[in-house]
Amino acid sequence: MSTGAASVGVSPRLQRPEPALAALRRMFGGFKILLPFAVLIAIWWIIQAVGNFPPNVLVSPAAVWRAFVYLVTHGVMAEYASTSLWMIGIATVLSMLIGVPIGFAVGVNRYAAHALEGFLRFLQGISGIAWLPLAIIWFGFSHTTTLIVVMYTLIVPIIFNTMIGVRAIPENYALALRSLGASRLRLVKDVYLPGAMPSIVVGMRLGMGYGWRALIAAEMLVRKGGLGDLIFGARTFGQIDRIIVGMIMIGCLYIIVDRLIVQPIENLTVARWGMLRK
Amino acid sequence: MSVPSATLKPRSAAHHAAGWLAWRLLPATPFVLVLLLWMIGWYIFQPIPSTLPSVAAVIEAIWERAVSGELWTHIAASLSRLFVGAAVGIVTGIVFGFIAGLYRNVSEFLNPLVIFFNAISGIVWLPLMISWLGIGHALAIFVIWNTVFFIVFQNTVLGVQLVPQVFEQGIQSLGGGRWETIRSVTFPGALPYVLTGIRSGLGFGWRALIAAELVGAPEGLGQMIFAAAEFHRSDVIIAGCLIIGVIAIAMDRWLLAPIEQRTIQRWGLVIDTAKES
Repeated sequence: MSTGAASVGVSPRLQRPEPALAALRRMFGGFKILLPFAVLIAIWWIIQAVGNFPPNVLVSPAAVWRAFVYLVTHGVMAEYASTSLWMIGIATVLSMLIGVPIGFAVGVNRYAAHALEGFLRFLQGISGIAWLPLAIIWFGFSHTTTLIVVMYTLIVPIIFNTMIGVRAIPENYALALRSLGASRLRLVKDVYLPGAMPSIVVGMRLGMGYGWRALIAAEMLVRKGGLGDLIFGARTFGQIDRIIVGMIMIGCLYIIVDRLIVQPIENLTVARWGMLRK
Repeated sequence: MSVPSATLKPRSAAHHAAGWLAWRLLPATPFVLVLLLWMIGWYIFQPIPSTLPSVAAVIEAIWERAVSGELWTHIAASLSRLFVGAAVGIVTGIVFGFIAGLYRNVSEFLNPLVIFFNAISGIVWLPLMISWLGIGHALAIFVIWNTVFFIVFQNTVLGVQLVPQVFEQGIQSLGGGRWETIRSVTFPGALPYVLTGIRSGLGFGWRALIAAELVGAPEGLGQMIFAAAEFHRSDVIIAGCLIIGVIAIAMDRWLLAPIEQRTIQRWGLVIDTAKES
Protein backbone atom coordinates (compact mmCIF):
# COMPACT_ATOMS: atom_id res chain seq x y z
CA MET A 1 0.00 0.00 0.00
CA SER A 2 2.89 2.36 0.75
CA THR A 3 4.19 2.02 -2.79
CA GLY A 4 0.78 3.05 -4.08
CA ALA A 5 0.82 6.07 -1.81
CA ALA A 6 4.06 7.30 -3.32
CA SER A 7 2.75 7.26 -6.85
CA VAL A 8 -0.58 8.84 -5.96
CA GLY A 9 1.30 11.40 -3.92
CA VAL A 10 -1.20 12.16 -1.20
CA SER A 11 1.27 12.63 1.56
CA PRO A 12 4.39 14.69 0.85
CA ARG A 13 6.21 12.71 3.52
CA LEU A 14 6.11 9.60 1.36
CA GLN A 15 7.51 11.36 -1.64
CA ARG A 16 10.77 12.25 -0.02
CA PRO A 17 13.67 10.30 -1.59
CA GLU A 18 14.76 7.62 0.80
CA PRO A 19 18.00 5.72 1.27
CA ALA A 20 18.18 2.34 -0.39
CA LEU A 21 17.85 0.44 2.86
CA ALA A 22 14.55 2.02 3.74
CA ALA A 23 13.29 1.40 0.23
CA LEU A 24 14.24 -2.25 0.55
CA ARG A 25 12.47 -2.52 3.87
CA ARG A 26 9.42 -0.94 2.32
CA MET A 27 9.48 -3.44 -0.49
CA PHE A 28 9.61 -6.22 2.05
CA GLY A 29 6.71 -4.57 3.89
CA GLY A 30 4.75 -4.56 0.67
CA PHE A 31 5.56 -8.20 0.18
CA LYS A 32 4.25 -8.98 3.64
CA ILE A 33 0.96 -7.36 2.73
CA LEU A 34 0.78 -9.28 -0.54
CA LEU A 35 1.77 -12.67 0.87
CA PRO A 36 -1.67 -13.55 2.33
CA PHE A 37 -3.26 -12.70 -1.01
CA ALA A 38 -0.75 -14.89 -2.82
CA VAL A 39 -1.68 -17.77 -0.51
CA LEU A 40 -5.37 -17.14 -1.08
CA ILE A 41 -4.97 -17.04 -4.85
CA ALA A 42 -2.94 -20.25 -4.74
CA ILE A 43 -5.70 -21.99 -2.77
CA TRP A 44 -8.31 -20.67 -5.18
CA TRP A 45 -6.27 -21.90 -8.13
CA ILE A 46 -5.88 -25.37 -6.63
CA ILE A 47 -9.60 -25.64 -5.84
CA GLN A 48 -10.43 -24.58 -9.37
CA ALA A 49 -7.97 -26.99 -10.93
CA VAL A 50 -9.00 -29.95 -8.76
CA GLY A 51 -12.77 -29.32 -8.92
CA ASN A 52 -12.71 -28.56 -12.63
CA PHE A 53 -15.76 -26.33 -12.30
CA PRO A 54 -17.64 -25.03 -15.34
CA PRO A 55 -16.91 -21.36 -16.10
CA ASN A 56 -20.31 -20.18 -14.87
CA VAL A 57 -19.52 -21.50 -11.39
CA LEU A 58 -15.86 -20.77 -10.79
CA VAL A 59 -13.06 -19.49 -12.99
CA SER A 60 -9.32 -19.51 -12.48
CA PRO A 61 -7.40 -16.45 -11.31
CA ALA A 62 -5.88 -16.28 -14.81
CA ALA A 63 -9.34 -15.93 -16.35
CA VAL A 64 -10.15 -13.16 -13.90
CA TRP A 65 -6.93 -11.42 -14.87
CA ARG A 66 -7.85 -11.72 -18.57
CA ALA A 67 -11.29 -10.30 -17.87
CA PHE A 68 -9.67 -7.45 -15.96
CA VAL A 69 -7.31 -6.67 -18.83
CA TYR A 70 -10.19 -6.84 -21.29
CA LEU A 71 -12.39 -4.51 -19.25
CA VAL A 72 -9.57 -2.04 -18.73
CA THR A 73 -8.26 -1.96 -22.29
CA HIS A 74 -11.75 -1.56 -23.72
CA GLY A 75 -12.49 1.33 -21.40
CA VAL A 76 -15.42 -0.46 -19.79
CA MET A 77 -13.89 -0.48 -16.35
CA ALA A 78 -13.07 3.23 -16.46
CA GLU A 79 -16.65 3.96 -17.42
CA TYR A 80 -18.23 1.93 -14.59
CA ALA A 81 -15.67 2.85 -11.94
CA SER A 82 -15.80 6.55 -12.70
CA THR A 83 -19.59 6.52 -12.45
CA SER A 84 -19.38 5.01 -8.96
CA LEU A 85 -16.58 7.30 -7.78
CA TRP A 86 -18.33 10.34 -9.19
CA MET A 87 -21.53 9.39 -7.39
CA ILE A 88 -19.91 8.85 -4.00
CA GLY A 89 -17.98 12.12 -4.44
CA ILE A 90 -21.05 14.20 -5.22
CA ALA A 91 -23.07 12.50 -2.50
CA THR A 92 -20.35 13.18 0.07
CA VAL A 93 -19.98 16.84 -0.85
CA LEU A 94 -23.74 17.47 -0.89
CA SER A 95 -24.27 15.56 2.35
CA MET A 96 -21.53 17.55 4.06
CA LEU A 97 -23.01 20.82 2.80
CA ILE A 98 -26.43 19.90 4.17
CA GLY A 99 -25.52 17.75 7.15
CA VAL A 100 -22.85 19.84 8.86
CA PRO A 101 -24.98 23.00 9.21
CA ILE A 102 -27.90 20.92 10.49
CA GLY A 103 -25.60 19.17 12.95
CA PHE A 104 -24.36 22.55 14.16
CA ALA A 105 -27.81 24.04 14.50
CA VAL A 106 -28.93 21.04 16.51
CA GLY A 107 -25.71 20.62 18.46
CA VAL A 108 -25.52 24.10 19.99
CA ASN A 109 -28.91 23.63 21.62
CA ARG A 110 -29.19 20.83 24.14
CA TYR A 111 -32.96 20.63 23.81
CA ALA A 112 -32.78 20.33 20.03
CA ALA A 113 -30.04 17.72 20.35
CA HIS A 114 -32.07 15.69 22.80
CA ALA A 115 -35.17 15.99 20.62
CA LEU A 116 -33.47 14.88 17.44
CA GLU A 117 -31.31 12.05 18.73
CA GLY A 118 -34.02 9.41 18.80
CA PHE A 119 -35.33 10.47 15.43
CA LEU A 120 -31.90 10.19 13.85
CA ARG A 121 -31.42 6.75 15.39
CA PHE A 122 -34.73 5.68 13.93
CA LEU A 123 -33.73 6.96 10.49
CA GLN A 124 -30.45 5.12 10.79
CA GLY A 125 -32.37 1.95 11.59
CA ILE A 126 -34.11 2.18 8.22
CA SER A 127 -31.23 1.69 5.84
CA GLY A 128 -31.13 3.92 2.80
CA ILE A 129 -31.59 0.92 0.59
CA ALA A 130 -35.02 0.27 2.13
CA TRP A 131 -36.15 3.61 0.68
CA LEU A 132 -34.96 2.56 -2.77
CA PRO A 133 -38.32 1.21 -3.95
CA LEU A 134 -39.99 4.49 -3.03
CA ALA A 135 -37.20 6.50 -4.64
CA ILE A 136 -37.66 4.43 -7.81
CA ILE A 137 -41.35 5.32 -7.87
CA TRP A 138 -40.53 9.00 -7.39
CA PHE A 139 -37.51 9.43 -9.64
CA GLY A 140 -37.55 6.37 -11.89
CA PHE A 141 -34.51 4.23 -12.64
CA SER A 142 -32.14 7.18 -12.70
CA HIS A 143 -28.97 8.55 -11.14
CA THR A 144 -31.15 10.80 -8.99
CA THR A 145 -32.61 7.73 -7.29
CA THR A 146 -29.15 6.38 -6.52
CA LEU A 147 -27.94 9.76 -5.32
CA ILE A 148 -30.92 10.22 -2.98
CA VAL A 149 -30.40 6.81 -1.41
CA VAL A 150 -26.65 7.32 -0.96
CA MET A 151 -27.13 10.80 0.46
CA TYR A 152 -29.73 9.54 2.92
CA THR A 153 -27.21 6.96 4.12
CA LEU A 154 -24.38 9.48 4.33
CA ILE A 155 -26.19 12.37 5.91
CA VAL A 156 -27.35 10.70 9.12
CA PRO A 157 -23.87 9.84 10.45
CA ILE A 158 -22.62 13.27 9.40
CA ILE A 159 -25.39 15.10 11.28
CA PHE A 160 -24.96 12.78 14.22
CA ASN A 161 -21.22 13.17 14.54
CA THR A 162 -21.31 16.92 13.96
CA MET A 163 -23.85 17.12 16.73
CA ILE A 164 -21.75 14.97 19.05
CA GLY A 165 -18.65 16.99 18.18
CA VAL A 166 -20.31 20.27 19.01
CA ARG A 167 -21.77 18.89 22.24
CA ALA A 168 -18.40 17.54 23.34
CA ILE A 169 -16.75 20.96 23.30
CA PRO A 170 -16.25 22.14 26.89
CA GLU A 171 -18.72 24.93 27.53
CA ASN A 172 -16.02 27.02 29.16
CA TYR A 173 -14.35 27.67 25.81
CA ALA A 174 -17.52 29.16 24.42
CA LEU A 175 -18.22 31.04 27.62
CA ALA A 176 -14.71 32.47 27.70
CA LEU A 177 -15.07 33.88 24.21
CA ARG A 178 -18.53 35.15 24.89
CA SER A 179 -17.48 36.93 28.03
CA LEU A 180 -14.90 38.72 25.93
CA GLY A 181 -17.72 39.94 23.72
CA ALA A 182 -17.42 37.57 20.78
CA SER A 183 -20.30 37.39 18.34
CA ARG A 184 -22.13 34.18 17.54
CA LEU A 185 -20.36 33.93 14.19
CA ARG A 186 -17.00 34.33 15.88
CA LEU A 187 -17.97 31.60 18.33
CA VAL A 188 -18.75 29.21 15.50
CA LYS A 189 -15.56 30.10 13.64
CA ASP A 190 -13.17 29.94 16.58
CA VAL A 191 -14.69 27.42 18.95
CA TYR A 192 -17.35 25.19 17.49
CA LEU A 193 -15.91 24.55 14.04
CA PRO A 194 -12.36 23.67 15.11
CA GLY A 195 -13.63 21.79 18.13
CA ALA A 196 -16.10 19.71 16.19
CA MET A 197 -13.85 19.16 13.16
CA PRO A 198 -12.35 15.80 14.17
CA SER A 199 -15.79 14.44 14.93
CA ILE A 200 -17.17 15.78 11.64
CA VAL A 201 -14.41 14.02 9.72
CA VAL A 202 -15.11 10.79 11.60
CA GLY A 203 -18.76 11.17 10.63
CA MET A 204 -17.80 11.71 7.02
CA ARG A 205 -15.58 8.67 7.00
CA LEU A 206 -18.23 6.47 8.58
CA GLY A 207 -20.83 7.88 6.23
CA MET A 208 -18.67 7.17 3.21
CA GLY A 209 -18.27 3.59 4.37
CA TYR A 210 -22.03 3.12 4.66
CA GLY A 211 -22.63 5.20 1.55
CA TRP A 212 -20.27 3.17 -0.64
CA ARG A 213 -22.12 -0.01 0.25
CA ALA A 214 -25.51 1.61 -0.29
CA LEU A 215 -24.24 2.90 -3.63
CA ILE A 216 -23.25 -0.56 -4.81
CA ALA A 217 -26.59 -2.01 -3.69
CA ALA A 218 -28.53 0.80 -5.35
CA GLU A 219 -26.56 0.41 -8.57
CA MET A 220 -27.41 -3.28 -8.64
CA LEU A 221 -31.12 -2.47 -8.62
CA VAL A 222 -31.18 0.75 -10.63
CA ARG A 223 -28.93 -0.65 -13.37
CA LYS A 224 -27.75 2.67 -14.76
CA GLY A 225 -23.99 2.26 -14.66
CA GLY A 226 -21.55 1.92 -11.79
CA LEU A 227 -19.68 -1.06 -10.37
CA GLY A 228 -22.82 -2.52 -8.78
CA ASP A 229 -24.40 -2.59 -12.22
CA LEU A 230 -21.25 -4.18 -13.65
CA ILE A 231 -21.28 -7.15 -11.28
CA PHE A 232 -25.04 -7.59 -11.27
CA GLY A 233 -25.21 -7.36 -15.03
CA ALA A 234 -22.42 -9.92 -15.35
CA ARG A 235 -24.47 -12.32 -13.21
CA THR A 236 -27.28 -12.34 -15.77
CA PHE A 237 -24.84 -13.75 -18.31
CA GLY A 238 -23.09 -16.02 -15.84
CA GLN A 239 -19.81 -14.16 -16.27
CA ILE A 240 -18.17 -15.13 -13.00
CA ASP A 241 -14.86 -13.64 -14.13
CA ARG A 242 -16.41 -10.19 -14.49
CA ILE A 243 -18.20 -10.48 -11.15
CA ILE A 244 -14.93 -11.25 -9.37
CA VAL A 245 -13.11 -8.44 -11.19
CA GLY A 246 -15.86 -6.07 -10.13
CA MET A 247 -15.74 -7.22 -6.52
CA ILE A 248 -11.98 -6.77 -6.34
CA MET A 249 -12.38 -3.33 -7.89
CA ILE A 250 -15.05 -2.36 -5.35
CA GLY A 251 -12.84 -3.44 -2.48
CA CYS A 252 -9.70 -1.77 -3.82
CA LEU A 253 -11.40 1.51 -4.64
CA TYR A 254 -12.96 1.66 -1.20
CA ILE A 255 -9.63 0.98 0.49
CA ILE A 256 -7.86 3.53 -1.71
CA VAL A 257 -10.44 6.25 -1.05
CA ASP A 258 -10.61 5.46 2.64
CA ARG A 259 -6.91 5.01 3.37
CA LEU A 260 -5.34 7.44 0.94
CA ILE A 261 -7.83 10.30 0.97
CA VAL A 262 -10.14 10.21 3.95
CA GLN A 263 -7.76 8.89 6.61
CA PRO A 264 -5.06 11.50 5.88
CA ILE A 265 -7.72 14.20 6.25
CA GLU A 266 -8.73 12.66 9.55
CA ASN A 267 -5.12 12.50 10.74
CA LEU A 268 -4.61 16.07 9.63
CA THR A 269 -7.54 17.37 11.65
CA VAL A 270 -6.54 15.31 14.64
CA ALA A 271 -2.96 16.48 14.44
CA ARG A 272 -4.03 20.06 13.97
CA TRP A 273 -6.72 20.23 16.60
CA GLY A 274 -5.61 17.23 18.58
CA MET A 275 -8.77 16.35 20.38
CA LEU A 276 -9.89 13.04 19.00
CA ARG A 277 -10.13 10.24 21.50
CA LYS A 278 -8.48 7.20 20.07
CA MET B 1 -32.20 13.67 34.52
CA SER B 2 -33.46 17.10 35.40
CA VAL B 3 -33.48 20.30 33.44
CA PRO B 4 -31.29 22.98 34.97
CA SER B 5 -33.46 25.93 35.82
CA ALA B 6 -32.97 29.07 33.85
CA THR B 7 -34.08 31.18 36.74
CA LEU B 8 -32.57 31.22 40.18
CA LYS B 9 -35.93 30.84 41.89
CA PRO B 10 -36.33 27.52 43.66
CA ARG B 11 -38.82 25.39 41.80
CA SER B 12 -41.78 23.57 43.17
CA ALA B 13 -41.89 19.79 42.91
CA ALA B 14 -44.75 19.92 40.44
CA HIS B 15 -42.85 22.32 38.26
CA HIS B 16 -39.87 20.03 38.39
CA ALA B 17 -41.94 17.01 37.42
CA ALA B 18 -43.39 18.91 34.48
CA GLY B 19 -39.91 19.78 33.29
CA TRP B 20 -38.87 16.16 33.61
CA LEU B 21 -41.89 15.04 31.64
CA ALA B 22 -41.22 17.61 28.92
CA TRP B 23 -37.64 16.40 28.70
CA ARG B 24 -38.79 12.82 28.35
CA LEU B 25 -41.37 13.73 25.71
CA LEU B 26 -38.98 15.90 23.70
CA PRO B 27 -37.66 13.02 21.51
CA ALA B 28 -41.22 12.42 20.29
CA THR B 29 -41.52 15.90 18.78
CA PRO B 30 -39.67 15.22 15.49
CA PHE B 31 -41.90 12.21 14.87
CA VAL B 32 -45.05 14.21 15.59
CA LEU B 33 -43.76 17.09 13.46
CA VAL B 34 -43.04 14.86 10.45
CA LEU B 35 -46.42 13.20 10.85
CA LEU B 36 -48.19 16.56 10.98
CA LEU B 37 -46.30 17.91 7.97
CA TRP B 38 -47.11 14.77 6.04
CA MET B 39 -50.81 14.99 6.91
CA ILE B 40 -51.09 18.71 6.17
CA GLY B 41 -49.01 18.44 3.01
CA TRP B 42 -51.09 15.55 1.81
CA TYR B 43 -54.32 17.42 2.54
CA ILE B 44 -53.19 20.53 0.64
CA PHE B 45 -51.55 18.96 -2.40
CA GLN B 46 -53.66 15.80 -2.64
CA PRO B 47 -50.95 13.85 -4.50
CA ILE B 48 -51.81 10.63 -6.28
CA PRO B 49 -51.50 7.71 -3.85
CA SER B 50 -48.60 6.12 -5.71
CA THR B 51 -46.52 9.26 -5.15
CA LEU B 52 -47.39 9.85 -1.54
CA PRO B 53 -50.06 7.90 0.30
CA SER B 54 -52.01 9.39 3.17
CA VAL B 55 -51.13 8.49 6.75
CA ALA B 56 -54.39 6.59 6.95
CA ALA B 57 -53.50 4.53 3.89
CA VAL B 58 -50.20 3.49 5.45
CA ILE B 59 -51.86 2.52 8.70
CA GLU B 60 -54.46 0.60 6.73
CA ALA B 61 -51.72 -1.17 4.75
CA ILE B 62 -50.09 -2.29 7.98
CA TRP B 63 -53.41 -3.31 9.53
CA GLU B 64 -54.55 -5.28 6.48
CA ARG B 65 -51.32 -7.24 6.35
CA ALA B 66 -51.26 -7.79 10.08
CA VAL B 67 -54.78 -9.22 10.07
CA SER B 68 -54.18 -11.46 7.07
CA GLY B 69 -50.99 -12.72 8.67
CA GLU B 70 -48.88 -11.81 5.66
CA LEU B 71 -46.92 -9.26 7.65
CA TRP B 72 -45.96 -11.79 10.32
CA THR B 73 -44.73 -14.22 7.66
CA HIS B 74 -42.44 -11.52 6.29
CA ILE B 75 -41.21 -10.43 9.72
CA ALA B 76 -40.64 -14.03 10.80
CA ALA B 77 -38.74 -14.79 7.60
CA SER B 78 -36.50 -11.74 8.01
CA LEU B 79 -35.88 -12.25 11.71
CA SER B 80 -35.17 -15.97 11.41
CA ARG B 81 -32.61 -15.25 8.70
CA LEU B 82 -31.07 -12.57 10.83
CA PHE B 83 -30.79 -14.86 13.83
CA VAL B 84 -29.33 -17.81 11.94
CA GLY B 85 -26.90 -15.65 9.98
CA ALA B 86 -25.92 -13.60 13.02
CA ALA B 87 -25.53 -16.67 15.24
CA VAL B 88 -23.14 -18.28 12.78
CA GLY B 89 -21.36 -14.95 12.31
CA ILE B 90 -20.99 -14.37 16.04
CA VAL B 91 -19.70 -17.87 16.81
CA THR B 92 -17.21 -17.94 13.94
CA GLY B 93 -16.21 -14.33 14.63
CA ILE B 94 -15.48 -15.03 18.28
CA VAL B 95 -13.63 -18.29 17.65
CA PHE B 96 -11.42 -16.91 14.88
CA GLY B 97 -11.10 -13.61 16.71
CA PHE B 98 -9.70 -15.39 19.75
CA ILE B 99 -7.25 -17.40 17.68
CA ALA B 100 -6.06 -14.30 15.85
CA GLY B 101 -5.99 -12.26 19.05
CA LEU B 102 -3.93 -14.79 20.96
CA TYR B 103 -1.39 -15.43 18.24
CA ARG B 104 0.11 -12.25 16.93
CA ASN B 105 1.60 -14.01 13.89
CA VAL B 106 -1.83 -15.14 12.80
CA SER B 107 -3.38 -11.71 13.18
CA GLU B 108 -0.51 -10.03 11.35
CA PHE B 109 -0.81 -12.49 8.51
CA LEU B 110 -4.57 -12.20 8.28
CA ASN B 111 -4.78 -8.43 8.67
CA PRO B 112 -4.46 -7.48 4.97
CA LEU B 113 -7.06 -10.10 4.06
CA VAL B 114 -9.41 -8.86 6.76
CA ILE B 115 -9.07 -5.27 5.54
CA PHE B 116 -9.80 -6.30 1.99
CA PHE B 117 -12.69 -8.66 2.69
CA ASN B 118 -14.17 -6.24 5.17
CA ALA B 119 -14.27 -3.67 2.38
CA ILE B 120 -16.38 -6.02 0.27
CA SER B 121 -18.36 -7.65 3.08
CA GLY B 122 -22.07 -8.12 2.72
CA ILE B 123 -24.04 -7.11 -0.32
CA VAL B 124 -21.06 -6.96 -2.69
CA TRP B 125 -21.16 -10.77 -2.62
CA LEU B 126 -24.75 -10.89 -3.83
CA PRO B 127 -24.17 -11.45 -7.57
CA LEU B 128 -21.58 -14.18 -7.00
CA MET B 129 -23.63 -15.86 -4.30
CA ILE B 130 -26.81 -15.79 -6.39
CA SER B 131 -24.85 -17.77 -8.96
CA TRP B 132 -23.65 -20.22 -6.34
CA LEU B 133 -26.52 -20.54 -3.90
CA GLY B 134 -29.51 -19.37 -5.91
CA ILE B 135 -32.21 -17.14 -4.51
CA GLY B 136 -33.48 -17.98 -1.06
CA HIS B 137 -32.59 -18.52 2.58
CA ALA B 138 -28.98 -19.54 2.05
CA LEU B 139 -28.24 -16.35 0.13
CA ALA B 140 -29.57 -14.03 2.83
CA ILE B 141 -27.91 -16.03 5.59
CA PHE B 142 -24.56 -15.89 3.81
CA VAL B 143 -24.79 -12.11 3.41
CA ILE B 144 -25.63 -11.63 7.09
CA TRP B 145 -22.90 -14.02 8.20
CA ASN B 146 -20.40 -12.17 6.04
CA THR B 147 -21.41 -8.80 7.46
CA VAL B 148 -21.55 -9.85 11.10
CA PHE B 149 -18.42 -11.99 11.02
CA PHE B 150 -15.94 -9.22 10.17
CA ILE B 151 -17.28 -6.80 12.75
CA VAL B 152 -17.33 -9.39 15.55
CA PHE B 153 -13.94 -10.73 14.45
CA GLN B 154 -12.23 -7.35 14.48
CA ASN B 155 -13.70 -6.37 17.83
CA THR B 156 -12.77 -9.71 19.38
CA VAL B 157 -9.18 -9.44 18.16
CA LEU B 158 -8.96 -5.94 19.58
CA GLY B 159 -10.54 -7.00 22.87
CA VAL B 160 -8.20 -9.97 23.30
CA GLN B 161 -5.14 -7.93 22.43
CA LEU B 162 -6.09 -5.16 24.84
CA VAL B 163 -6.37 -7.39 27.91
CA PRO B 164 -3.47 -6.18 30.07
CA GLN B 165 -0.72 -8.77 30.17
CA VAL B 166 -0.31 -8.23 33.90
CA PHE B 167 -3.59 -10.03 34.53
CA GLU B 168 -2.59 -12.98 32.39
CA GLN B 169 0.78 -13.13 34.08
CA GLY B 170 -0.97 -12.97 37.42
CA ILE B 171 -2.94 -16.10 36.68
CA GLN B 172 0.10 -17.82 35.25
CA SER B 173 2.24 -17.01 38.27
CA LEU B 174 -0.46 -18.61 40.41
CA GLY B 175 0.01 -21.77 38.39
CA GLY B 176 -2.85 -21.38 35.92
CA GLY B 177 -2.40 -23.07 32.58
CA ARG B 178 -3.11 -21.57 29.19
CA TRP B 179 -6.71 -22.70 29.17
CA GLU B 180 -7.27 -21.40 32.71
CA THR B 181 -5.82 -18.02 31.68
CA ILE B 182 -8.12 -17.74 28.70
CA ARG B 183 -11.16 -18.77 30.69
CA SER B 184 -10.67 -16.53 33.69
CA VAL B 185 -8.88 -13.48 32.26
CA THR B 186 -8.84 -13.20 28.49
CA PHE B 187 -12.44 -14.12 27.89
CA PRO B 188 -14.04 -11.82 30.47
CA GLY B 189 -11.59 -9.08 29.54
CA ALA B 190 -12.47 -9.25 25.88
CA LEU B 191 -16.19 -9.72 26.45
CA PRO B 192 -17.20 -6.04 26.46
CA TYR B 193 -15.52 -5.58 23.07
CA VAL B 194 -17.10 -8.72 21.74
CA LEU B 195 -20.52 -7.48 22.79
CA THR B 196 -19.94 -4.08 21.21
CA GLY B 197 -19.02 -5.95 18.05
CA ILE B 198 -22.15 -8.07 18.24
CA ARG B 199 -24.31 -5.00 18.76
CA SER B 200 -23.01 -3.06 15.78
CA GLY B 201 -22.73 -6.28 13.77
CA LEU B 202 -26.44 -6.95 14.17
CA GLY B 203 -27.22 -3.37 13.14
CA PHE B 204 -25.19 -3.83 9.96
CA GLY B 205 -26.56 -7.31 9.46
CA TRP B 206 -30.12 -6.02 9.53
CA ARG B 207 -29.35 -3.46 6.83
CA ALA B 208 -27.53 -5.99 4.69
CA LEU B 209 -30.45 -8.40 5.08
CA ILE B 210 -32.95 -5.86 3.78
CA ALA B 211 -30.68 -5.18 0.80
CA ALA B 212 -30.27 -8.91 0.15
CA GLU B 213 -34.01 -9.47 0.34
CA LEU B 214 -34.60 -6.66 -2.14
CA VAL B 215 -32.46 -8.45 -4.67
CA GLY B 216 -33.50 -12.01 -4.09
CA ALA B 217 -35.74 -13.73 -1.58
CA PRO B 218 -39.13 -15.42 -1.80
CA GLU B 219 -40.41 -13.55 1.28
CA GLY B 220 -39.23 -11.13 3.96
CA LEU B 221 -39.63 -7.45 4.64
CA GLY B 222 -37.20 -6.39 1.92
CA GLN B 223 -39.08 -8.48 -0.60
CA MET B 224 -42.38 -7.04 0.61
CA ILE B 225 -41.34 -3.48 -0.20
CA PHE B 226 -39.63 -4.45 -3.44
CA ALA B 227 -42.69 -6.32 -4.69
CA ALA B 228 -44.83 -3.34 -3.68
CA ALA B 229 -42.73 -1.06 -5.90
CA GLU B 230 -43.79 -3.02 -8.96
CA PHE B 231 -47.42 -2.15 -8.30
CA HIS B 232 -46.58 1.40 -7.23
CA ARG B 233 -47.94 0.70 -3.78
CA SER B 234 -46.17 3.49 -1.90
CA ASP B 235 -48.30 2.86 1.18
CA VAL B 236 -46.90 -0.64 1.53
CA ILE B 237 -43.33 0.60 0.96
CA ILE B 238 -43.59 3.28 3.61
CA ALA B 239 -45.28 0.85 5.99
CA GLY B 240 -42.45 -1.62 5.40
CA CYS B 241 -39.77 1.02 5.98
CA LEU B 242 -41.38 2.07 9.26
CA ILE B 243 -41.56 -1.54 10.44
CA ILE B 244 -37.92 -2.10 9.47
CA GLY B 245 -36.93 0.96 11.51
CA VAL B 246 -39.03 -0.03 14.51
CA ILE B 247 -37.56 -3.54 14.58
CA ALA B 248 -34.01 -2.16 14.32
CA ILE B 249 -34.59 0.25 17.18
CA ALA B 250 -36.41 -2.28 19.36
CA MET B 251 -33.68 -4.86 18.86
CA ASP B 252 -30.95 -2.42 19.74
CA ARG B 253 -32.66 -0.78 22.69
CA TRP B 254 -34.30 -3.73 24.42
CA LEU B 255 -32.03 -6.60 23.53
CA LEU B 256 -28.49 -5.52 22.73
CA ALA B 257 -27.99 -2.33 24.70
CA PRO B 258 -29.05 -3.90 28.03
CA ILE B 259 -26.77 -6.90 27.51
CA GLU B 260 -23.86 -4.65 26.69
CA GLN B 261 -24.64 -2.34 29.58
CA ARG B 262 -24.73 -5.20 32.03
CA THR B 263 -21.37 -6.61 30.99
CA ILE B 264 -19.77 -3.21 31.08
CA GLN B 265 -21.10 -2.65 34.54
CA ARG B 266 -19.88 -6.02 35.62
CA TRP B 267 -16.44 -5.92 34.06
CA GLY B 268 -15.72 -2.26 34.24
CA LEU B 269 -15.00 0.42 31.75
CA VAL B 270 -14.78 -0.13 28.05
CA ILE B 271 -13.86 2.14 25.22
CA ASP B 272 -16.32 2.13 22.40
CA THR B 273 -14.41 0.52 19.58
CA ALA B 274 -17.12 0.28 17.00
CA LYS B 275 -17.31 4.07 16.80
CA GLU B 276 -21.02 3.52 16.61
CA SER B 277 -22.93 6.65 15.95
